[in-house]
Amino acid sequence: MTPWGLGGALRHSRLQAILAVAAIGAAVALPVVLVSVGGGVSAHELANLENAGYQIVISASGIHGIENAHALAHRILSTVASTTAASPVLSIAIDAFTATGGPTPILAEGVIPDQFTPTLGPTEDGLFPNPLPLGDPTDDLHFDNGTYVGPATYDVLISTPYESASGVKVGDRLWLGPVANRSQAIAYNVTGTFGVPPSLLGPTGAFAIVLPLSDLQVMTGYGPAPSAVIPDAADTIEVSVTGSVATNPSALNAVRAQVQALVPFYGVSSLTQEAQQLQSASSVLTGFYLALSSVGISVGLLFLALVLLRRVEADRRSIGVRRALGLPGRSIAAGILLDGIVLAALGAIVGLVAGYLLVESIATWAKGTVKEAASLAVFSPPVLAALVVGILLLSLLASGVATRSALKIDITEALR
Amino acid sequence: MIPSPAPTIALEAATRTYDPGGPDQVRALRGVDLTIPPGEVLSVEGPSGCGKTTLLNLIGLIDRPTSGEVRWDGVPVGSRGERDRARLRLERVGFIFQRFYLLPTLTARENVELPMRAARVPPTERNRRASGLLEEVGLSGRERAYPHQLSGGEEQRVAIARALANSPGLLLADEPTGELDTASTDAILDLLQRVRQSRSATLVLVTHNPVVSRIARRHLTMRDGAIVGDVTEA
Ligand SMILES: Nc1ncnc2c1ncn2[C@@H]1O[C@H](COP(=O)(O)OP(=O)(O)O)[C@@H](O)[C@H]1O
Ligand SMILES: [Mg+2]
Repeated sequence: MTPWGLGGALRHSRLQAILAVAAIGAAVALPVVLVSVGGGVSAHELANLENAGYQIVISASGIHGIENAHALAHRILSTVASTTAASPVLSIAIDAFTATGGPTPILAEGVIPDQFTPTLGPTEDGLFPNPLPLGDPTDDLHFDNGTYVGPATYDVLISTPYESASGVKVGDRLWLGPVANRSQAIAYNVTGTFGVPPSLLGPTGAFAIVLPLSDLQVMTGYGPAPSAVIPDAADTIEVSVTGSVATNPSALNAVRAQVQALVPFYGVSSLTQEAQQLQSASSVLTGFYLALSSVGISVGLLFLALVLLRRVEADRRSIGVRRALGLPGRSIAAGILLDGIVLAALGAIVGLVAGYLLVESIATWAKGTVKEAASLAVFSPPVLAALVVGILLLSLLASGVATRSALKIDITEALR
Repeated sequence: MIPSPAPTIALEAATRTYDPGGPDQVRALRGVDLTIPPGEVLSVEGPSGCGKTTLLNLIGLIDRPTSGEVRWDGVPVGSRGERDRARLRLERVGFIFQRFYLLPTLTARENVELPMRAARVPPTERNRRASGLLEEVGLSGRERAYPHQLSGGEEQRVAIARALANSPGLLLADEPTGELDTASTDAILDLLQRVRQSRSATLVLVTHNPVVSRIARRHLTMRDGAIVGDVTEA
């Protein structure tokens, strides 16, 4: 028995109660899915950023747009204090041939081995051999002060997915070329493998190779001046700093500014900035999702108000009797309020469970990016609690509407 | 519990018009003057629609007069706000309706406890009193029954127990036996008479059954919203 004997939420008009619970459940499930999946993806990206081994990244507007990458890397290391590594990276899709097969499109990353390794974050660190077995740790031999006349090692590392797909083993040869034509390909020695971290990009990035920066530049025509469109090109230069600077945003920003001064025409950002931007973008997105969900929630609450109103209408006689006996209006209000809150709470529980199950089943049964995103979902207790509290508070509005109508019932009329 | 004293009730030129000025205007009471001393047993008779229920609603503060005043012990209470009147109804009036009006979702005991709950009687006291009242009306053992499990006579007994819950000085019964057969009617009348007597409460009894009005000493007759007869037996 509810305190004022107002029937109890589920004792009568069960179908209406079930429908109201379902409507609120659906209204709650939507934001649960949106917020937890959206928040999960942002958190994942954030974690990726924070797990990076570099803290400052230089990028250019054009494709492969950084010029004089080797020289720049040296200059940064020699002139900017507290920098520990400056790693130019050139990423270009090329074609690979095995002794019998190919061509296979493959993502090639040209790096300076001894600079690349320190910029790996803790999660990637274990995926690569250390040091990289590419023969020429500083890439200075082949680069030879920008003349590219030094001896190339023709060593290459292949990703484990490509290894298992192609059957190429360490010690085998692999022919690499800028176009799908074996006659233009150069023979490389496979000297090692590296793992590919699970990522949102899925298998597209999984077929990859790592080779000396100068090798890739020459192969793709981004190497020696003046024949190159962009001489000594790279896509990014990732810069690591000493630990004390890495964890101090203002010190990091000072270093960032020094690097920026060296390369005024390129973009230089620190990962804390990016992390902050991502964080604020993610909270904006969460707000957007909640705003979107407010439509559903409004419908759910309207439905609740209607059900409560119908219940008041059906209980006219009982409410009239209560009032005739002298029961105070607040006791009648309390009963309706309790009914509303019970229904809203049940709806919220149904919504939480349904949202959770929905995300879980998407993570289990869906495919591709959708599945990946769902599997990253984070069910944040404070956000979900805020959602439930919000629903309960708003249910007071619906109850208020019904209460108003209950207190307007004319006693003599209701008892006729 | 100490019964609340029965008030002296006075209606002064009381009128009640439903939907005044509207299309469905009904002048249910047309200027009634009436004094009911404490402890009196009064029957109100008259044809259907003559205004008996309307009169009872004014006496019991369920309704407010359109004009005129209702006084309890000389205090004008009839036109007070709903909150004040509700409190007086809860603590000092016991209502018994023709169609019982038990709350269908509550057991017999819960129905009897409802007014006590609203009057903030502590649970143990509430429990004890409800048991006593249900025993007094002859329903011990039926405490857990829901209204639909009771006969009409039994329902009215529960309703009488509920009316007595807060020991009111004023009992108002609107055709209390209108839905009952002859045997139940006699039993309910006996019960009403007994509970009234033991509490020295005022009892106003609306009926158009002469058998019912026999328990009253004073008989009002109404017609078209006015009192046309007022006879007190010697
Ligand atoms: N709440 C109401 N609204 C409008 N008219 C009413 C209402 N209650 C009673 N009436 C009308 O007032 C008149 C007197 O009603 P009532 O006091 O119930 O008479 P009785 O109890 O003697 O049968 C009737 O004509 C009835 O239709
Ligand atoms: Mg009547």
